[in-house]
Amino acid sequence: MPKSLTIAAALAASALALAGCAGPAPSQPSTTSSSSQEKVALTLWTGFTGGDRPAYDALVKAFNDSHPDIQVTMEVQPWDTIGQKLPAAWATGQGPDLATPNFDPNILSQYLKTNSLLPITATGTGEGQIDVEHLAPAAIKAFTQDGKLYAVPANVATLQLYYNKALFAAAGIAAPPTTVDEFRADAQKLTGNGVFGLSIADHETIQMWPILQWLDGSDIVDQNNCSLLSSPETVKSLSAWSKLVIDKFAPVGLSGAESDSLFSAGKAAMQLNGPWAAAGYTKAGIDLGVAAVPAGVNGSTTLASTVPMAISAKTKYPVQAQEFLAWWTGKTAQRQFALDSGFPPVRTDMADDAKLASNEVVAKFAAALPTARLYLPGVPSATKVDSDVYVTLIGQITRGEDVAKATAEATTKLNALTGCSK
Amino acid sequence: MQQVSVGPVSSRPGAGGTHHLPARRRAHRAWLRDRPAWLFAAPSLAIILVFIVWPIIQSFRYSLYDWTVGAAEQQWVGLGNYIALFHDELFWNALRITVIFAVSSVVLQLILGYASASALQAETWLAKAVRSIYFFPTIVALATIGMVWRFLLDPNIGLVAGITVAFGGHAVGWLQDPDPALPTVIFVNVWKNVGFTMVILLAGLKGIPAQLYEAARLDGASGFRLTRHVTLPSIRPTLLLAGIMLTINSMQVFDLVYVMTNGGPLNHTDTLVNVLYREGFQNFRQGYASAIAWVLFLIILAASALQLKLMRYDDVD
Amino acid sequence: MSTDLRATGRWTLLLIGVVVIAVPFIWMVGGSFRSEADLYANPASLLPTTWTLHGYQSVWNDLPFARMFLNSVIFAGITTALCVLFDSMFAYALARIPFRGSKLCFWLVIITLMVPFQVTLIPVFIQLFNFGWLNTYQGLIIPRATSAFGIFLLRQFFISIPKELDEAARIDGANHWQVYWRIILPTARPALATVAVLHFTNLWNDLLWPLTMTSSTEMLTLPAGLTLFAGQHVTDHAVLLAGATISLIPLAVAFALAQRYFVAGVATTGLK
Repeated sequence: MPKSLTIAAALAASALALAGCAGPAPSQPSTTSSSSQEKVALTLWTGFTGGDRPAYDALVKAFNDSHPDIQVTMEVQPWDTIGQKLPAAWATGQGPDLATPNFDPNILSQYLKTNSLLPITATGTGEGQIDVEHLAPAAIKAFTQDGKLYAVPANVATLQLYYNKALFAAAGIAAPPTTVDEFRADAQKLTGNGVFGLSIADHETIQMWPILQWLDGSDIVDQNNCSLLSSPETVKSLSAWSKLVIDKFAPVGLSGAESDSLFSAGKAAMQLNGPWAAAGYTKAGIDLGVAAVPAGVNGSTTLASTVPMAISAKTKYPVQAQEFLAWWTGKTAQRQFALDSGFPPVRTDMADDAKLASNEVVAKFAAALPTARLYLPGVPSATKVDSDVYVTLIGQITRGEDVAKATAEATTKLNALTGCSK
Repeated sequence: MQQVSVGPVSSRPGAGGTHHLPARRRAHRAWLRDRPAWLFAAPSLAIILVFIVWPIIQSFRYSLYDWTVGAAEQQWVGLGNYIALFHDELFWNALRITVIFAVSSVVLQLILGYASASALQAETWLAKAVRSIYFFPTIVALATIGMVWRFLLDPNIGLVAGITVAFGGHAVGWLQDPDPALPTVIFVNVWKNVGFTMVILLAGLKGIPAQLYEAARLDGASGFRLTRHVTLPSIRPTLLLAGIMLTINSMQVFDLVYVMTNGGPLNHTDTLVNVLYREGFQNFRQGYASAIAWVLFLIILAASALQLKLMRYDDVD
Repeated sequence: MSTDLRATGRWTLLLIGVVVIAVPFIWMVGGSFRSEADLYANPASLLPTTWTLHGYQSVWNDLPFARMFLNSVIFAGITTALCVLFDSMFAYALARIPFRGSKLCFWLVIITLMVPFQVTLIPVFIQLFNFGWLNTYQGLIIPRATSAFGIFLLRQFFISIPKELDEAARIDGANHWQVYWRIILPTARPALATVAVLHFTNLWNDLLWPLTMTSSTEMLTLPAGLTLFAGQHVTDHAVLLAGATISLIPLAVAFALAQRYFVAGVATTGLK
């Protein structure tokens, strides 16, 4: 046999041998019967990279320790990666049993289109049941479609006002602003000596601009998903806030991380941000204060953001998976998680919990939950509305473009995306 | 001496002493002659066909549907995605940005690459050390480079801003302002690849026989004329190779832009692959994304063909 | 006199080039040892004013670092070895064996370079799922075990090797495989080294591929694992920079060992 053929055969053989020695087996649930007495292994994909990951790891460990018959393995990956793999993985039945598909709750509609989500039926107040009545209502509403619940909140966060006490003292301001006018005034007073009064981000961030609008009583869409961007209230509000940026009391064109850096560096006196930032700011040496978002014309409000945790429609263990969700949203887990991470609990019945109340960070962020609102809840094509319309709009007006003109354009684009028929 | 041939041997040109044989025997002979080539090519070709060509064809298929990954049934749209593309202003914006990016990058890289290759031709220790330094960025991950430059250029905490302000200047938002953003990204791209271009052009320069220079000098040429009439024509194949590779690379730029600006600010650095990624993975429109990919592919094909034509190069040998 | 001036001018420009190239790396390594507060307080400073190891400690403690490093070595190493072998075999066929379909194969190889990777990502993902190769070593390695660029580079180089060497061996009765193995490969060592280092570098740095084709943390490669520290609202620069520096070290070593082959221009003589 010619040498070349021998070599080719050897190569083929080695390729086959290589195919035989797989790495760790693909994480799939075992194929034994799914009675709850058998040991069950579940996989969970989340995107909780970054500083708060240990809190989630601890939660999963606590579950595994208290549930010897159900063991959950959490695989953490960047949100982008989950977004790339999960649709195909769930559609082909290869994916994890549980996952947080995206930090944006609107993502569920995409997975519903491909029937990838398991409707959650184990609800109630009993053991191993998900106590839906006592979970953050905005989140539950966002996760329910056609009367069926498809996810529970893995976390709920609100944005509050972080402020630099030292900079406030230097500017002679005794207390953080409590009304929207004070807010704008303080931002101007605090600016100077290389410091911005307010640090704000307009892209790659949890959205802060909607809060500014809400404080002035304006909004982005109405309940028919039609644009409110060119309404007089919005134009007035956006003009006022963008003027702050143009007059250099707030920076222009920052991403979330850059806005955080600015505050960390002590180069901004105020920032609207979530509980995850507190630890980092303290580590950076900031004399940190946390206050409620100043009250707007319609009272207190702030942005709530929630990450959905859903179950694959093709999971082999729907009972156990729902048990995990029930535990995750139960009082013990939420207390542990809140204390570990500073996030408010996702439950609404823990306001008088002693331990939580004594934790300043948790208490502050939790207090804002009842009046917090989601960004573009249930709006069709919300991701595109955010990236193509809203982010672009803010980018334009903060760089000097005429607000009336820019909002008119934005309205046309938005209505085209959401299918508004007005 | 007996010629003992074990197995098929490469045929000498003109060894077609098979004309007298019937067609089937001829074909069989040709196949026997070709067989070693196919055996050598087999592993590579198999991988290319299975994991590159087939997926490319699949993605063309996706582009004819409103493709949602995992849907039970896909909706046929025929050329609908391509027509939508034609009307999409973000697509045209991205096309313009990508072309500007590619042309600027390639031209700058060729010029700077040539200049450094020509200046560092000597085999002295110093020249070799500088060449190594220039080449180093090539081996660093694009994501790392994007991240480091992003920090360096940050108007509030970056080194560049720090130094500018220390000298009494104003910090510039290189990546935050729409106008400097694209030139900045182009700069970083050139920064990364200049060393690689230099190495390729260096090889070309080293291959120019000394006699050519001598002959030209005897004719009284020197300096710039020498470069224009001897050097550049001699390295034309190398320039062409570098040009095509850099073009293909630049038109596909993604990682750098994604890490540094994600297409912003205000879409001023939004390249075609960036739009592709966003549409495919954030807006879940795989069909549309595939259409963009195919249009990009055709553009790159056209650009490469154009370069080949311009350099009057018919045979890549 | 004017040539001296020109030479000085030339070297000044080259030196500026060196500074522009080197400074970001110095800053990167320096930044990996800086605390957040230091970074913000002294942006104009290239090096740390106070040194801290917490960046490196975080990387070591929060990741299964040794395992990821091993995965990177396995993935990049084995794939590179296979790549060099398969690419050189294909290149030999294209350069030395005039067969029907040679030109077609060659253009096929060139054309596959022109399609961006993101396009084939999902189809390949589904393919690997169908083969049962997701989250396995073979799924990571085999689809990447050949490279159009390598094939092209080696073909050009092989063409430049004088045919007389082949003829001599052929007269002594060698067949193609022997010519390939005993004549071509040894002569092409510089080109093979170049291709090996470039492949290894690309594979080591590859982010998207390992991230997409694996799902468990134990299978992640180092660059992919380091993304676990990144997030939308992350402000720990030292950790990110430490991760980047650590990732760079093996490449810098490989580069130092093999650079004489390509920076000297020898390896790429086939490209003229």
